[in-house]
Amino acid sequence: MPLRNLRLQQRLMAIMLVTSACVLVMTCAGFFAYEFLTFRQSMVRQLSTVAAIVADNSTAVLAFEDRKGAEEILSALKAERHIAEAGLYDGEGRLFSTYPKDADPGEFPPAPAAEGFRFGGGYLQGFQAVVQNDKRLGTLYVKSDLKAVTARFQLYGAVVVLVSGLAFLLAYLLSRALQRQISGPILALADTARAVSDRRDYSVRARQAGTGELGLLTDAFNQMLTQIQGQLTRMELLNQITRAISERLDLTSVFQVMLGALEENLAVDFICVCRYDADARLLTVTSVGAKAAPLAEELGMTANARIPIDDGLRQCVGGQFTYEPDITNLRHTFTDRLADKGLRSMALSPLLVDSGVFGILIAARKVPDGISRMDREFLRQLSDHGALAAHQAHLYGALQQAYEDLRRSQQAVMEQERLRALGQMASGIAHDINNAISPAALYTESILERETNLSTQSREHLQTIAHAIEDVAATVARMREFSRQREPNANSVPVQVNKSIQQVIDLTRSRWHDTPQQRGIVIKIKTELDPGLPPVMGVEGEIREALTNLFLNAFDSMPEGGTLTLRTRKGKDKDVIAEVSDTGAGMDEETRRRCLEPFYTTKGERGTGLGLAMVYGVAERHGAELQIDSAPGKGTTMRIVFPEAEEAIAERQAPEAPAAPLRLRILVVDDDPLVAKVLRETMKMDGHEVATANGGQAGIDTYLTARKSGAPFDLVMTDLGMPYVDGRKVAAAVKAASSATPVILLTGWGQSLLEDGDMPPHVDKLLSKPPKMADLREALASLAPKKTAGGIPA
Amino acid sequence: MPVLRSLFLMLLASVSAAVAQGAPDREHRVKAVFLFNFAQFVDWPDSVFADPDEPLVVGILGDDPFKAYLDEVVRGEKVNNRPIVVKRFRKVEEIKDCEVLFVSPSESPRLEGILSSLKQKHILTVGESEDFQRYGGMVNFATEGGKIRLKINLEQVQEAGLSVSSKLLRLADVSGARRE
Ligand SMILES: Nc1ncnc2c1ncn2[C@@H]1O[C@H](COP(=O)(O)OP(=O)(O)OP(=O)(O)O)[C@@H](O)[C@H]1O
Ligand SMILES: [Mg+2]
Repeated sequence: MPLRNLRLQQRLMAIMLVTSACVLVMTCAGFFAYEFLTFRQSMVRQLSTVAAIVADNSTAVLAFEDRKGAEEILSALKAERHIAEAGLYDGEGRLFSTYPKDADPGEFPPAPAAEGFRFGGGYLQGFQAVVQNDKRLGTLYVKSDLKAVTARFQLYGAVVVLVSGLAFLLAYLLSRALQRQISGPILALADTARAVSDRRDYSVRARQAGTGELGLLTDAFNQMLTQIQGQLTRMELLNQITRAISERLDLTSVFQVMLGALEENLAVDFICVCRYDADARLLTVTSVGAKAAPLAEELGMTANARIPIDDGLRQCVGGQFTYEPDITNLRHTFTDRLADKGLRSMALSPLLVDSGVFGILIAARKVPDGISRMDREFLRQLSDHGALAAHQAHLYGALQQAYEDLRRSQQAVMEQERLRALGQMASGIAHDINNAISPAALYTESILERETNLSTQSREHLQTIAHAIEDVAATVARMREFSRQREPNANSVPVQVNKSIQQVIDLTRSRWHDTPQQRGIVIKIKTELDPGLPPVMGVEGEIREALTNLFLNAFDSMPEGGTLTLRTRKGKDKDVIAEVSDTGAGMDEETRRRCLEPFYTTKGERGTGLGLAMVYGVAERHGAELQIDSAPGKGTTMRIVFPEAEEAIAERQAPEAPAAPLRLRILVVDDDPLVAKVLRETMKMDGHEVATANGGQAGIDTYLTARKSGAPFDLVMTDLGMPYVDGRKVAAAVKAASSATPVILLTGWGQSLLEDGDMPPHVDKLLSKPPKMADLREALASLAPKKTAGGIPA
Repeated sequence: MPVLRSLFLMLLASVSAAVAQGAPDREHRVKAVFLFNFAQFVDWPDSVFADPDEPLVVGILGDDPFKAYLDEVVRGEKVNNRPIVVKRFRKVEEIKDCEVLFVSPSESPRLEGILSSLKQKHILTVGESEDFQRYGGMVNFATEGGKIRLKINLEQVQEAGLSVSSKLLRLADVSGARRE
């Protein structure tokens, strides 16, 4: 098993044991090497000492050739166990005596060699001179076996094994005891880590382990746990808040939930959310934390308070999270405002969506540097989530609004479609009825006029028939009012709605004053009329009629009396709004939906159901919108919204032209005979005298000839694009001859020329092809020379 | 100088041939070597020598049994840096400077007188007759079974102010009291 896979304790022990084993082996190896060398040296020394002694003792025996004495001396070598052989050589180098006594002389070196001892052949052997008083008397030979070395090293081996074993055992015991110093805290740490990861419990802490590196490690570990725990709590909180705010669909409650959560979980003294208006460079306080409300009062930062952007706020509305540990010395208007009320540290967190900063979150504390880093991070994250939720709420609102608008316009279209169908039907019926009753009415009338000999009873019957026919005619007339299509030629004039209302009040006096009073009922009339109201374009009689119908319906709805309020005001886009409000019974849903239908009435015999149908027809013809606000028991407000007057004027100017019929002499110049013919035929039908010329040059010639002959053209109408001589040249030639003769230029590009404001010279009017009848008429009318109007004999 | 050396050896050979009026027997050849070896194992008082280079004298009194062999033995040898000289004396009176004196058996009749006259002279006396020690001789060669035995009268030796190495004493038959 590799070392790294062992458990920590075993690892530490293994390391220590391996280390001590290495040290022991090295020590023993050194010891052996040293012993080996020194022991050999000491062996040599010892042997040479012995040899020297023996040699010294041998001088006399050699000198006096005493073999016996020599044997005695050599036999003393018995004491040295390892000396295997010894021999004395005399002065002539002959072997004189041996040890052991009966050794085979053949084993001895034949003659003494150089002095000294050396190892070889499993022995240590050598020669020692025998000298007396400088006189070399002979040589001693000694040979020692190496059993001593072996024995010695056997002993050493045993000692080494024993000592090593003991040392290793000691190392093992020591390492077992000592490794706990290191492994203990680490294992404790590991246990804690395991507990944390197994149980996801970040509240456990590792046991403190002194002040060394392990202590520091434990400290760092515990600190890390504290941080994780803090982060987790914050995250959970963030999660909770996020969930809570994502359920809200309106801004105010999103912010309220956000602030509530912050106040509950963060140490803050003041907290609020402001909306940011980038154009006005203003913050508007939107929501203030509940606990911060009294302080907000002091600061003047309650809901809807405005705060101009100053240098202290600029960074945040630029999209950056800002934190000021101490605001006392910043000297910005806004920070000073907070500082005056004892606030010291402040964090500003932008509320950001894709489009930019739409608000900021302000948090402040009364202690300097009171918002910790973790809290700031929390604020920042919460702001992000809040911004997102707020943005979502906003989108949701817009969606709701769009849906509502769509639904309403769809309903209006349906309504209109239904009414249009009804109108068609009504007009068909009206036509048929008119046709049907015409003979009846004519005959009834002529009989009553001419037949004088009718019985009184017959005459009465005929008169009843005539009345009935009149009634039918009146009904059909009202019906036609509803169904009549909008006619462009209708005689629109500027109408002062305020004046019309006043007139209607007067006209209906009997209905709201006289009759009710007789019955003891009071109907009050209130007017809230805008004196600066611009006129609307329309038919005065129709508008009056419509208002009358609305008045009458209002009176009908207030049989017990009430108030009729008449209001006029300018709406947006210069609309003119006229309102007729009553405090009567109001309409239920069904009635409100169907009241515009012809013949729909809730009044039975007393009503025809054509009143509002007629009002609707009038409104339609005036391009106005009819709005109905009503609920049972709440009264009814009928509102007519007239469109902008200018537009109406421009639109209605054309029908004024044909007031006086024109008869003009007109020259049409065009290289396309078909176009020229169509123009001629059309204008002829309107009573004009029309000549045509094919091409530019022909046109100029025709004009000049006519002028010379004393029958000049009143007006020239020419095409623009023609070969050789184009419309511009024709116009120039005409104006050169008679500058008063108007020239109309017809062009396929007329529209774009007009839009460019590029009116060619010598041209009075541009008309685009194909010209519309109305445009043509209007152009002729506006350009007709006054003196010649109707100048042509009929 | 191998040439010189061989020349010298030749010369040496001719001289020894001239000196030798006849070779001694094997016994006396050994005794001649022993005589020389005594100089190695005996210490003389410093007063015996006038200066450090003074030769150590081996003397022969009476007939010379070693003939020229002794000269051969001591030639070139040194004891304690002193050269060794062989002197032959006819009468006791001739002996002036002498350290080792071999008293020839020819002098046996006058032995008592010789030895007593040498008593105070720090001379190691060596003899080979039976009664040599009886008259105060110090070292005697005794022949037992073809082997030469040394007999030493330690008392006499010590009286003469000489000291004999214990190594020599160990292989000799020592008589006379030891002065401790
Ligand atoms: N101001 C109002 N308050 C309550 N209900 C009204 C009001 N105006 C109209 N209505 C309801 O709308 C119905 C239709 O009105 P409309 O004017 O078309 O007919 P009418 O008043 O019933 O008959 P007519 O106008 O021909 O006398 C009425 O029958 C009534 O139920
Ligand atoms: Mg009505």
